[in-house]
Amino acid sequence: MKAMGKRKRRYWIQGTLVFLAGILFMMPVFLIVMNAFKSNREIMLSFLSFPKTLYLHNFQEAMRLMNFWVSFRNTAVIAVGTVFLSVIVSYMAAYGISHLRGKFSDGFYLFFVLGQLVSIHTVMVYISVMATKFHMNNTFWGLILIHGGFNSAFGVMTYTGFLKSVPRELEEAAAIDGCNAFQIMTRIVLPLVKPTTMTVSVLYFLWSWNEFLLPSIMIGDSGLRPLTVNLNMFKNTSGTEWNYLIAGLTLTLIPIFIIYILAQKYITSGMMSGAVKS
Amino acid sequence: MSSAFYKKNTRFYLALLIPAFCLYCLALIGPLFFGTVPSSFYDWNIIKAKRNFTGFENFAELIHDKQFLTSLFFTLKLGVVTVTLNNIIAFAISYFLNENVFAKGFTRSMFFMPNTIGGIMVAFIWCFLFTNVLPKIFSAAGLESMASISWFGSGSMAFITIVAAAVWTGSGFLMVLYLAGLQNISADILEAGEIDGCTGFKKVILLQLPLLMPTITINLFVSIAGAFKSFDIPYAMTGGGPAGVTNTIALNIYKDAFSTYNMGYACAKSVVLFFIVMAITCIQLRFTRKKEVQL
Repeated sequence: MKAMGKRKRRYWIQGTLVFLAGILFMMPVFLIVMNAFKSNREIMLSFLSFPKTLYLHNFQEAMRLMNFWVSFRNTAVIAVGTVFLSVIVSYMAAYGISHLRGKFSDGFYLFFVLGQLVSIHTVMVYISVMATKFHMNNTFWGLILIHGGFNSAFGVMTYTGFLKSVPRELEEAAAIDGCNAFQIMTRIVLPLVKPTTMTVSVLYFLWSWNEFLLPSIMIGDSGLRPLTVNLNMFKNTSGTEWNYLIAGLTLTLIPIFIIYILAQKYITSGMMSGAVKS
Repeated sequence: MSSAFYKKNTRFYLALLIPAFCLYCLALIGPLFFGTVPSSFYDWNIIKAKRNFTGFENFAELIHDKQFLTSLFFTLKLGVVTVTLNNIIAFAISYFLNENVFAKGFTRSMFFMPNTIGGIMVAFIWCFLFTNVLPKIFSAAGLESMASISWFGSGSMAFITIVAAAVWTGSGFLMVLYLAGLQNISADILEAGEIDGCTGFKKVILLQLPLLMPTITINLFVSIAGAFKSFDIPYAMTGGGPAGVTNTIALNIYKDAFSTYNMGYACAKSVVLFFIVMAITCIQLRFTRKKEVQL
């Protein structure tokens, strides 16, 4: 009986402590979103109080100053393009690797996995040179192609792992029924690996939404800049007008929040599998 | 039948690799082996339009380059501090989340959330906190000397801001991995230990940590590699300032390449960074593999 009481007490005490720590962890995000609805004077007065009125002027002004809709569209185009290209390319390669036999298969797998050792920072200098040479600067396709290259290491690894669990008998049965290799890949196996496709797409989307370095190198045209680059410039030009800055920041974060709430399961599992296999 | 089917389609399977292979060459292999590595042997400046072969001169210059050595040292310092803090915090959180507590899933989500926010946005959030929120908290607490700290004015303070931001976004990810590791430890072992009097702190040190060694290996690998790639947060928070003391290697390379346009020199630094990351990864994997408990 006594032990039960002790256990119960621990359940609540430890739980409360770790829950409060979690709230503290989320505090920065709360503060940003909350203060985005206040005028600069109100922020200066008290950053902790709830906004007295729903002050939307910040958002209007931030949208105007940041050229928000244009850069939102740019980011969305880049992100969606990256997801499509990277998913298709990684699935194809992983499917090929898992169906080739012997040394070939292992060799190619290793080739793609080792690519994760090359970080973008070690090649960014030459990518900028190359981008100028191949007229990839100020184009979305150039950025999407490079993103695709960097993403495929992760995608190939994740898909290959999952494809191992797809029973071969299924594919063989389909072959007997007259499906050719391409049909088996797209009509039989692709629907089966849907969870992986979800995981990989969500992560690709988040990564390219958050990406800053590559677009800042490759895209100079103000009409083509994505949100992250615009946000950074906005910060450098209007240093102290925090009410506009955090309103712009909040707008940029909203899609991330939405995706996190909807697809949290895929995000954590995907990142974990990526880390564990490398 | 099956073997014949796969054999017949070998060409098709090989062809499937072509797009990924091409993108890979475009983004990684080409720029690294045909761009960065050869260019590191040239004195190459885009603005001055010169490109002369100088052999190992760039690398010889690196050893005496104060800016580069500062950034190398700063990256190491940042790496050691963030990796340590990240892992300690992540382990502590996961330890409590692994115990019997309420609202587990929700609490876990709160800790993981910052990990999905990109570096630029994270830096931005913390800039706001350090310039607008913290001074007010300190002055409300009567700590006027703390309230008047200029967080971005001195190197050591700027270091703290970067560490805070990096730990905030980094630890949630490691927490999830630790949590998975803890849940994999069989309850029988822990129960047997408890019967033998191994409880509380002792249980953590003698049972859970040694059994977590594989997870610790992964986490160290992930976080050290991440520390050497840190760019977004220092770039957007301090811009390497004041006076270049918070430049990471990546930031130092970026500045060489895109503000002074010394491409050859920046490539030489990139090669050094590439080897550092590879070496650390190899050493670290070997070191922790040995300590893993075999069950």
